[in-house]
Amino acid sequence: MDLDLTAEEQDFREEARTWLRENLPKGERPPEGAEMRDFDLAFQRTLYDGGWAGINWPTEYGGRGLSDIQQMIWYEEFASADPPFTLNNSCTFVGNNHGGPTLMAKGDEAQKAEHLPKILRGEVVWCQGFSEPGAGSDLAGLSTKAVVDGDELVVTGQKTWTSYAHVADLQELLVRTDPDAPKHKGISWVICDMDSPGIEIREIRTMSHVTDFCEVFYDEVRIPLANVVGEINEGWRVAMSTLSFERGTAFMADQVELAATIEDLISEARERTGADGRPVIADEEIARRLATARAEVAAVRAMTIAGISRTARTGMPGPEGSMIRLFHGELHKRVYALALEIIGAEALRLTQVDGDGVWTGPYLQSFAYTIGGGTTDIQRNIVGERVLGLPRQ
Amino acid sequence: MDLLPTEEQSEIVSTVRAQLGSDFDLHDLASADGATTVVDAALWNQCAELGWFALGLAEADGGIGYGLVEETLLFEELGAHCTPGPFLATVLAAHTAAAAGATDLVAGITSGTSRVALAEAESTDAVVSSTSVKGSFRLTDHGGADLALVLDGDRCAIVLLNGAAVKTEESIDLLVPLASADLDTSPAAFAEDPAIGLRATVLTAALLTGIAKATAAQSTEYAKDREQFGRPVGSFQAVKHRCADMAVRSDAAEQLTHLAALAVTGGHVDAAFQAEAARVVAGDSAIANAEVNVQNHGGIGFTWEHTAHRYVTRARVWSTQAGDRRTHLRSFLDQPAPA
Repeated sequence: MDLDLTAEEQDFREEARTWLRENLPKGERPPEGAEMRDFDLAFQRTLYDGGWAGINWPTEYGGRGLSDIQQMIWYEEFASADPPFTLNNSCTFVGNNHGGPTLMAKGDEAQKAEHLPKILRGEVVWCQGFSEPGAGSDLAGLSTKAVVDGDELVVTGQKTWTSYAHVADLQELLVRTDPDAPKHKGISWVICDMDSPGIEIREIRTMSHVTDFCEVFYDEVRIPLANVVGEINEGWRVAMSTLSFERGTAFMADQVELAATIEDLISEARERTGADGRPVIADEEIARRLATARAEVAAVRAMTIAGISRTARTGMPGPEGSMIRLFHGELHKRVYALALEIIGAEALRLTQVDGDGVWTGPYLQSFAYTIGGGTTDIQRNIVGERVLGLPRQ
Repeated sequence: MDLLPTEEQSEIVSTVRAQLGSDFDLHDLASADGATTVVDAALWNQCAELGWFALGLAEADGGIGYGLVEETLLFEELGAHCTPGPFLATVLAAHTAAAAGATDLVAGITSGTSRVALAEAESTDAVVSSTSVKGSFRLTDHGGADLALVLDGDRCAIVLLNGAAVKTEESIDLLVPLASADLDTSPAAFAEDPAIGLRATVLTAALLTGIAKATAAQSTEYAKDREQFGRPVGSFQAVKHRCADMAVRSDAAEQLTHLAALAVTGGHVDAAFQAEAARVVAGDSAIANAEVNVQNHGGIGFTWEHTAHRYVTRARVWSTQAGDRRTHLRSFLDQPAPA
């Protein structure tokens, strides 16, 4: 047990801090449309040129081949550089954290060579096509069908909750290729070109007013069989490899950023005068809730480091990652709910969901944290069944 | 950076666990309910012989030479077994005596020949200084104790209890004897050192973490065994999800407490931040888990015979000692953020 950074890790931290000071974009991230896409891709390119893309990706795939600890240090330095946007709130998220890692784990050489460099260089936007109107928590119950026709799949159906589909080039898409097999055994994981004929995208307005949420309709969309990742009908296993990565480091940026957020909120409570004319933090209840949340954020960091330590020993992120996601998701919501109490009537002024010193938009957005990527109910099932060994229903 | 125990540390844990499992069984200890000395001299001496009171004391001070991390692992196990006895007072007294250069006291305490009660002020005008300990104090584990460790934030004093008017009271936890005493004496040893205050905070967090872990495990085991409606109750989401929440709270407490022990050991600038945070999270986790654990056991969990209530009352005792929740929350909010 030790908290020591190696000389290399310390140098890495210094290097990251210096680079971020000089290269972090100063302006706000455009909230939508082509401008947003351009901003996100340009920043990914800046990261790539600076050597900060794919920090923990293997060098053979163009990454730096560094440790998860260094990946975490990068997130910590990014968060403390006071950025005008958050790392995971980007249309590069799926490529960096889902599509790319899945290809590294399960893709063939041609797929890796074609896609991984483009993800790292910020040349392509990926989106996710997993959930359907009838397949949410029961993801394996998905029914978008794909029929083999020559050397192509013909896809018909509907996906939903697909962030950034309207600005995406490619999609990681789960389709049912064998309707007669047991539900986990008839699914394939394919790369779908979002410009294919037969695709229709409709934007969905969310409760936080963001419109980068979409539903996607497929009407006899033709996808080359060469785009199947892993074997046909083995897509569930391929999808689970993405999930295990997700439990590892994909949400580490969010977890680290919450530490900066709670400190901002404490400052807010110190500086803001309440209705009684005193600083808001003078209110005992507010002070205690702030201190409790701050302690819990510290626990998230410790759990993250423990998770990294476990992965380093076993080589694979375990189901314990679901415990961090569960704890973090609910804590994130509590922090923003507390923020709205602290800012009082200021909360009535709607803000963007992302940015410096804004609380109302992020509060509305925070509801996604206990739903997206597996609801907290599903996370609890995973913890109960795979960590604790409790019987399935 | 690695937050998991080393092989050597894991061995310490399993040795301690085996010992506690055979000698500190909660059902066996029930016969001591309400006694003023719960752990008899033979058992206490055995703990001394195992080196538990000197584990984190430097060899130069007559200790084993491990540090706060190993003490933390020991205390987590003590917590998990709901172990009675003045372990915190004893270990803190050994460090206080060592810091004060009182080698005879160190030897007496670590060998188990001197028994140390824990004393904390009950009145705001109590004095704890190098020359005087005066005021109304709450004592725990006073039975058989010739000394008391008076704990007041970063100030620790060891006083002789001989002749002090100690009034035994009914305790919420029949395995943690409770008393009050008016003290007016000068300490046999005194130390004022943030490191001792932080040690008290982290070790209390470790005890509470132990409760959070043990009750999570107890509920999970019961949910696997207990059948209703023809299947294990752990298959029902209502129960399964409570067990999952307990595991999460327990992991949060454990990982943060370990991190705090390391930060304090390394003298890191954020040591106090992490220690206070650990104390807050571990306290909340212990109380929440101990309480839900009773619920998960249904009727049997409400009986005296079952051990679930032991964890509830012990969580209350330990989350009050070495500063209560409100004190720690206030102190924590004043800590600067880690750089």
